[in-house]
Amino acid sequence: MNGNFIWLAIGQIFDPTVAAYALATIGLVIHFGFTGLLNFGQAGFMAVGGYAFAITSVIYSWPLWGSFLAAIVAATIFALILGIPTLRLRADYLSIVTIAAAEIIRLSVKTPEFSDVTGGSEGINGAARAFNAVNPLPEGRFGLMGTPLVYNQDQWWIRIVGWGLVALACLLVFLLMRSPWGRVIMGIREDEDAVRSLGKNVFSYKIQALILGGVLGGLAGVVFILPRSLQPDNYGTQLTFFLYTIMLLGGAATVFGPVVGSIIFWVTLSLTDGLLSLGIEAGVLPLTTTQTGPIRFIIVGVALMLLVIFRPQGIFGKKKDLHFA
Amino acid sequence: MLAGIRPGQSARLIAMLIASVVLCLSVVLGGSALGASAAETTVSTSTTTEQSILAWVRSDADKVGVANVSITVEGDGGTETAVTGEDGKAVIPVSEPGTYTVTIDEDALPVETGYPRPSSNPAEVEVFAGNTEVPAIFFLSPDNAKGAVAAPSDTATSTPTPGADGEAGTTTTTAPVTADTFWLRFWPQLVTGLIFGLLIALAAIGASLIYGTTGLNNFAHGELVTFGALMAYLFSGIIGLPAVIAIPAAMVLGGLFGWAQDAGIWRPLRKRGLGLIPMMIVTIGLSLALRYVFVLLFGPDRLTLPNSTKPFLVIGSVSLKFTDVAGAIIAIVVILGVALVLTKTKIGKAMRAVSDNRALASASGINVERVIRVVWVGSGALAALAGVYVGYYQSLRWDTGASILLLIFAAITLGGLGSAYGALVGAVVIGLIMNLSTLWIPENLKFVAPLVLMIIILLVRPQGILGRKERVG
Repeated sequence: MNGNFIWLAIGQIFDPTVAAYALATIGLVIHFGFTGLLNFGQAGFMAVGGYAFAITSVIYSWPLWGSFLAAIVAATIFALILGIPTLRLRADYLSIVTIAAAEIIRLSVKTPEFSDVTGGSEGINGAARAFNAVNPLPEGRFGLMGTPLVYNQDQWWIRIVGWGLVALACLLVFLLMRSPWGRVIMGIREDEDAVRSLGKNVFSYKIQALILGGVLGGLAGVVFILPRSLQPDNYGTQLTFFLYTIMLLGGAATVFGPVVGSIIFWVTLSLTDGLLSLGIEAGVLPLTTTQTGPIRFIIVGVALMLLVIFRPQGIFGKKKDLHFA
Repeated sequence: MLAGIRPGQSARLIAMLIASVVLCLSVVLGGSALGASAAETTVSTSTTTEQSILAWVRSDADKVGVANVSITVEGDGGTETAVTGEDGKAVIPVSEPGTYTVTIDEDALPVETGYPRPSSNPAEVEVFAGNTEVPAIFFLSPDNAKGAVAAPSDTATSTPTPGADGEAGTTTTTAPVTADTFWLRFWPQLVTGLIFGLLIALAAIGASLIYGTTGLNNFAHGELVTFGALMAYLFSGIIGLPAVIAIPAAMVLGGLFGWAQDAGIWRPLRKRGLGLIPMMIVTIGLSLALRYVFVLLFGPDRLTLPNSTKPFLVIGSVSLKFTDVAGAIIAIVVILGVALVLTKTKIGKAMRAVSDNRALASASGINVERVIRVVWVGSGALAALAGVYVGYYQSLRWDTGASILLLIFAAITLGGLGSAYGALVGAVVIGLIMNLSTLWIPENLKFVAPLVLMIIILLVRPQGILGRKERVG
């Protein structure tokens, strides 16, 4: 172990997983930051999108566009099922229903009875085949300006598409929040009754926001599984809590906050892993190398607490957008 | 830097947060030196690109690892052999992802430890890129014949599922369902469900009181449960104290833990006027941090409390361990005690008053902060008892509490948010639904049934079974 871990940490800036987290957090920002919906089931949206993509492409051999469409449609349906009954309830009820729905999804896809379709607890492997087949990049390994960050053509392809989707989502949210639609959404966040008195159908706007953020979550699920196999236990409640940490890090009601938050989150985790391993090898820290795993989660948990208490608007947020504190 | 906060105030808050974390840690740390041997083999979240298989040979009766068993792993990455260590485990690194066959050498097994469950040896394991410690678990029992193959209805699995899995105290038969066998399966599930419901109730009553008096949805309530379980493990499993001392000690420490949380975190945050939703997110952060502090101190493995699996009470097809019966009686006594405190004592009446209307309670001279402190201490102790109970009921782990958190929430919501009696009723209903649902749906979907029920209840009767309409927004 030497300075390599610094390059690993820098590599996180391009990492497709980081892009997936950023994309899912942008969806969460639409829900929580702009509309004020307390969605604790974003992991469920990611699972639904990821599974729809993997099942249609691996098991039913759909073309790539069909699988993407399936992910979008599945996330939309999940949002409707979740939203129509619960959006009339109070905020904390919605949080419990969404977290329960996400767990129901995870437990159901895990069960051996459905393993012909979902792969059971082992998940689905090889969802990226159709995606890599349309890769226009020439075969080979390319470095980034002479740095040790060298990836092969497929690794570059997922990085380009993943971050491209993040950029599109940012642009979409940026434009939407300047539009009349965005103003209504933010009005709902500030004072639902006031918006209702202006003759707007609050419920319909909330559903639209839930679907939009959910579809971004579903697409994030697709980006998340492309570089790895699909595993049901990746979609536990913990994933949603990580997304909340990322969101609050960047700023809950910002457009670029999720991107910066996601990068900071992953670079920090990668750096702490590296530094802890260094410390352990040098004999400074009284731990074993396998104990670095729990420490990163402790850091996330404490960071989440401190962020909410001391800087709830995040790095880029403005105090006036803070509807929840 | 910290906009809107006086420097002195924020410094004090940080100091309090740190002090409370240190306090919580020091309570646990006493056991960490002793728990170090358990903490040595640790977590599968490492980020290396290597893959590995974790073979674990355990005795079926007491779940203790069996040492010195030879293991052969064959597959795409070649053939590897290993011998299990003192804890019955062996980690076998494999160079390539793929399907592997894990075989234990049955010829070399001593007769008294017995042989693996039918059809469980060899086990097939699927390893994906980057997966480490993919489990292949073998349970040995003298009841099994060498090289036995299972009857088709047997569902011996090689991987344990998290949470309340098949290690429950009652035995169930898995014969095909006919009218007779249905009832044979029904009664054990009913009793297990009632016991599990009482267990959930202990934790849910506390969480409900916290919600009622402070409006806080405490996502870290599961960690109060885990804390109690781990303390019981520390006192009875590691130090070796008898359960009569270990269980009350775990409850006292649980109460102390609740007090420390309130004094160190929640009270300062209430004073700052932090909103309920941010406060809820703080509980999520706390839950995450505590859970992994537990992993760090006690290791990632399942731990068992010293317990006899011998049937103690057998009525028809229902067979219960001593701890099932004793646990149920203790739980009922404690719940009755809580009900008495709530209805008869001054502090209990004050609790209900604060739950009903905080401002009015405060105006009529009730010291609201004191009531909340008592609620936290009581909830901590009750959750700790629930944790001890989980430890005896199945086994315990760093995420034991977290895995039943949603069931606790479901119980509270079902009974009516903020109502202590509602939480009791809700918990028993949850326990029954969960276990009885396995008569019709697969065993590993049993967590789904109560969650679905909770969602349906929220849709048709958001105030819950015993809740009142005015609490629903």
